[in-house]
Amino acid sequence: MLQHQGEDIFVIDGHLHAWDATKENIIHEGGEQFIKCFYDYHTGFTPEERQWTLEEFRTYSDEKFLSDVFGTGDVDVGIFQPTYLKEFYEDGFNTIDDCGALADEYGDRLITNGRFDPREGEAGLEDLERQAREYDIQGVKVYTAEWRGDSKGWRLDSEDSFEFLQKCADLGIENVHAHKGPTIRPLNRDAFDVADVDDAASSFPELNFVVEHVGLPRLDDFCWIGTQEPNVYGGLAVAAPMARDRPQKFREILGELLYWLGDDKILFGSDYGIWEPDWVLDAVVNTEFTEEEKAEYGLEFDMETKKKVLGENAADLYDIDIEERKAALRDDDLSAEFDTGAQYEGAAD
Amino acid sequence: MPVTADAVRDALDDVTDPELDQPITDLDYIETLDVSDDGDVHLAFVLPTAWCSPTFAWMMAADARDAASALDGVADVRIELRDHMHAEEVTRGVNEDLSFETAFDTADGEVASTRATLDRKARLARQYDAMEALDDAGVDDRQLARLRRGDLTVEEDRVTIDLDGLYVELDARPLERYLEKARAVDLVTDDDDRLFASRDEETLSPADVPRARRASRLAKTNMGGQGGVCASLHASRNPELADD
Repeated sequence: MLQHQGEDIFVIDGHLHAWDATKENIIHEGGEQFIKCFYDYHTGFTPEERQWTLEEFRTYSDEKFLSDVFGTGDVDVGIFQPTYLKEFYEDGFNTIDDCGALADEYGDRLITNGRFDPREGEAGLEDLERQAREYDIQGVKVYTAEWRGDSKGWRLDSEDSFEFLQKCADLGIENVHAHKGPTIRPLNRDAFDVADVDDAASSFPELNFVVEHVGLPRLDDFCWIGTQEPNVYGGLAVAAPMARDRPQKFREILGELLYWLGDDKILFGSDYGIWEPDWVLDAVVNTEFTEEEKAEYGLEFDMETKKKVLGENAADLYDIDIEERKAALRDDDLSAEFDTGAQYEGAAD
Repeated sequence: MPVTADAVRDALDDVTDPELDQPITDLDYIETLDVSDDGDVHLAFVLPTAWCSPTFAWMMAADARDAASALDGVADVRIELRDHMHAEEVTRGVNEDLSFETAFDTADGEVASTRATLDRKARLARQYDAMEALDDAGVDDRQLARLRRGDLTVEEDRVTIDLDGLYVELDARPLERYLEKARAVDLVTDDDDRLFASRDEETLSPADVPRARRASRLAKTNMGGQGGVCASLHASRNPELADD
């Protein structure tokens, strides 16, 4: 747990990856461009002494992942967001089966989401059923800008997509995380347009739509949608590391999100392995609005709001009872390994 | 008289990164600016990443070419985009005066509509600064809603606002910057046109002003926030240029 001003904050990191971008797995130049683009984001925002080499960045062991996230990282529960990109990577970049193996082993610690791509048709629907069956998924990550054949992307509000969203609703997969963020070479920028979330969200009120990366550089369009659709949420991955090196920009973005969407709608995510949660969390939790900002937005980033953003909001979406979970984590393998069990003492049994 | 590098640089102050609405000179994108005795201009620039939108790169290269070419004493202008996935297409296309669609055989979307969308966002973002400046000068929401283009008189770096016979004077820059984009999107062209508008470019009543102001603030935060992402990437990739 994260300690802040004498209180414990239960942290759910809503955006984790376990990827493989080794040269052996790359089958298209887009795969090399994609990982190098991620690496530019890594070096652009990571403190110099914490930067990895490109080779370290291409893939990482389970041990390193667990240590960075749950050891030094202060994260209590994490959610994997798979990214397939099978046109670029032979075995995929970050698949549900890679993530699912770890999530199976550390069930109280890791949740894996699934994914779908409506262009896969019937086979895709069947695979979604398989994912629900094998991994009991509660959410999916969707990548509307993913390449497939001649197609350079798809829209969430298309007829085909609605068929998959209906399947999600039927299977009880309630959380749809859409990557809507900065351009990632070589994916098509226009496919990151956030407008398609609007119609999908109003057509499927029983689902929750989490716009990852808060739509940057379309934060304005995203917030506008968020004010109108009660089931639209914002994931802070990519915005969060700005809390360290561009704190004023981060406060402005956070202020707008809290103002337009409200404090129940914002979810923390580190985007590991692009960034390590420990320094990202440190920067976010130490963010305080100035008096002028408090007056402008009419709100505060106080302890109650921090707890919501860093854990409670994700706990609501993923049906996690935080007190029960603390009791389960007190004696688990990772608490023993990283000597973190004591922080969960006092949790209700 | 031959043109100086300073004069060219001044002209480039009007060329903006369309997504961030900031001058390329402030963003430290310019790597080389050479002006020969004969008035030949060579401008080389880089962007925060090698995969920045080619459409935006094209707009900056073409705008820089046009800004430099318009100066007296300039002979030939050569623009060079460096270290970019599409450096060759942009450099060749802009120097040979090709259209974007001709220079890129895989282009999806065209420059004019992208520029129009970003101009509308920049108009809204700049409205925030203009409204804030007027608010600081004591202009209230009722007056803001009713202001027309013709109520403004710019002299040197000051602007005088006529509020039904009451006059307020302030720094002209936020209003001039706003008017530049309001003209570009055809929102404010005549003296009779209302100065400010909603996010959807509709006329404001006094009661609409607070929401329009917040929508403007949001547009500015978006451009500034993305600017922060780009600046961090730029500082990491081009440390010799970016001084932040």
